Amino acid sequence: METNSRPVVVKRMPERVSARVARKFWQEVQPFLSVDRPQLVFDLSPVVQLDAAGVEMLLRCMSEAHRRDGDLKLASLSEHAAVVLELTRTERLFEIYESSIDAVRSFSGFLPNAMRQQLLHKRPPTSAAA
Amino acid sequence: MNSMDIRALVLINAKPVLVNDRDHVALAGPPLALLDVAGKSALRRTIENLEPSGIDQVTAVMETNPFYRQGQAAGTRKTDCRVVAPELFWRTCEEVFHQLVQSGAELVLIIRLGAYAEVDLERMLQFHLDQTCRVTRVVQTPAPEVFCISASRRNDAASLFRSGLRKCRSECSFFPSAGYVNPLADARDLRQFAVDVLTLRTATKPAGKESRPGVWVASGAVLENGSRIVAPAFIGSSARVRAGAVVTRCTAIEHHAHVDCGTVVENSTVLPHAYVGAGLDVAHSVVGLGQIANLRRSTTVTVADRKLIGQVAVGAGQRLQSAAARILSLFPQALRRRLTGAEWAQPPKQAPELVPALRRKTPAQREPVGAPTRVHESKTGGEFSSSLVVARRYGDQ
Repeated sequence: METNSRPVVVKRMPERVSARVARKFWQEVQPFLSVDRPQLVFDLSPVVQLDAAGVEMLLRCMSEAHRRDGDLKLASLSEHAAVVLELTRTERLFEIYESSIDAVRSFSGFLPNAMRQQLLHKRPPTSAAA
Repeated sequence: MNSMDIRALVLINAKPVLVNDRDHVALAGPPLALLDVAGKSALRRTIENLEPSGIDQVTAVMETNPFYRQGQAAGTRKTDCRVVAPELFWRTCEEVFHQLVQSGAELVLIIRLGAYAEVDLERMLQFHLDQTCRVTRVVQTPAPEVFCISASRRNDAASLFRSGLRKCRSECSFFPSAGYVNPLADARDLRQFAVDVLTLRTATKPAGKESRPGVWVASGAVLENGSRIVAPAFIGSSARVRAGAVVTRCTAIEHHAHVDCGTVVENSTVLPHAYVGAGLDVAHSVVGLGQIANLRRSTTVTVADRKLIGQVAVGAGQRLQSAAARILSLFPQALRRRLTGAEWAQPPKQAPELVPALRRKTPAQREPVGAPTRVHESKTGGEFSSSLVVARRYGDQ
């Protein structure tokens, strides 16, 4: 999905995020995190099991994104994920949204109006692009 | 009244009653009446409530369940406890009633848990005798299932048992009660019961010594230095609260539970033998049996990660075994180290990186990047240090 500025990567988390799955997931998302100012949204709706390793992986992703001036946001938290994040005191560290769409939209939400207008004018009209 | 032979039959098979006007927070495990709340189960408290009225012969009939351990239920030696299959439950109740009558009981009190109720039994029995009732039932909202039956009315008792305590062949007299009652239908009720016991809204008290106002600590509980217990709170026998942990706002840590370092437990119940991992934040929840019933979210989730929520071994032997297993698990590593001369696992790399990171200058402290602004060339520029950039909205005026 693409906002007014840069592309936002939406990634669905696996159902069971154990230590092994978390490692694999980290390897999958690493390319998206290694770009300049990465914008990621993790959809946690399928999660039915989230271990401490999974929470650690989320924090690692967030820290990696922040290091490159980007951000990681969470969306559609399942009950399990919500309870585990609250239990581990990490829910306050993430921006959490009801849906992935809301999370994606939020990336362009903080742009100053002037900059947003500028970006809109720069973008060629869709008919011309076609 | 003391000369009368009065006996009690306590039934435990109640399924959680779904209440429509709120979210039901189920907890997979034994019947809630068997779970300890501030040191004692509802069953044990009920049996203790019978003793002042001279009813010391109690028979408990309960359905089999995988969580039940023989001897844990009643907690008193006087209680005859029978565990039966669900399909035989009501038949067994009927048989037990007959046995009680044959052994000389004149009045039989039937209490079904589920709901924990504090009824003025002496007044109820007096009411039953004065009204010459066959069957007397306690009336209250929410309705506890407490009946008093004259021993001679076997058929009434039989009809009551066969209908699952829903109806009786003859009309019941109703005894109004105003005592404390808790339906104990779900985790929310269990938590409320703990709050009510700790805030002394019930006649029954927390089990344990009140070490300071509002804090009850049972024997064998270990409160490590640096742990903080804020009243009202209960710490059960052989429970352990480790350094840096905070227990606050009507929290009950039941027996053999273990709260690890730095964890905050607020307005929650930690069930017997539950382990709560280090550095967690448990709030408005019932924790145990590998689950967390979060009352604010009205949901129960099973936590598979033993680092977060686990189970402390039930028996002392098992605990010793698991400790030994932990120590033994270190041997292969030690052996390998000895043979290969390898060092122990290196500490995480974050630690050495932390010190330079802390010493590094923040962006605000660094030298300004890019060409010097015009302000440096101006007369006023000399007044400011070179690291300070002054931007004027209307240029260099």
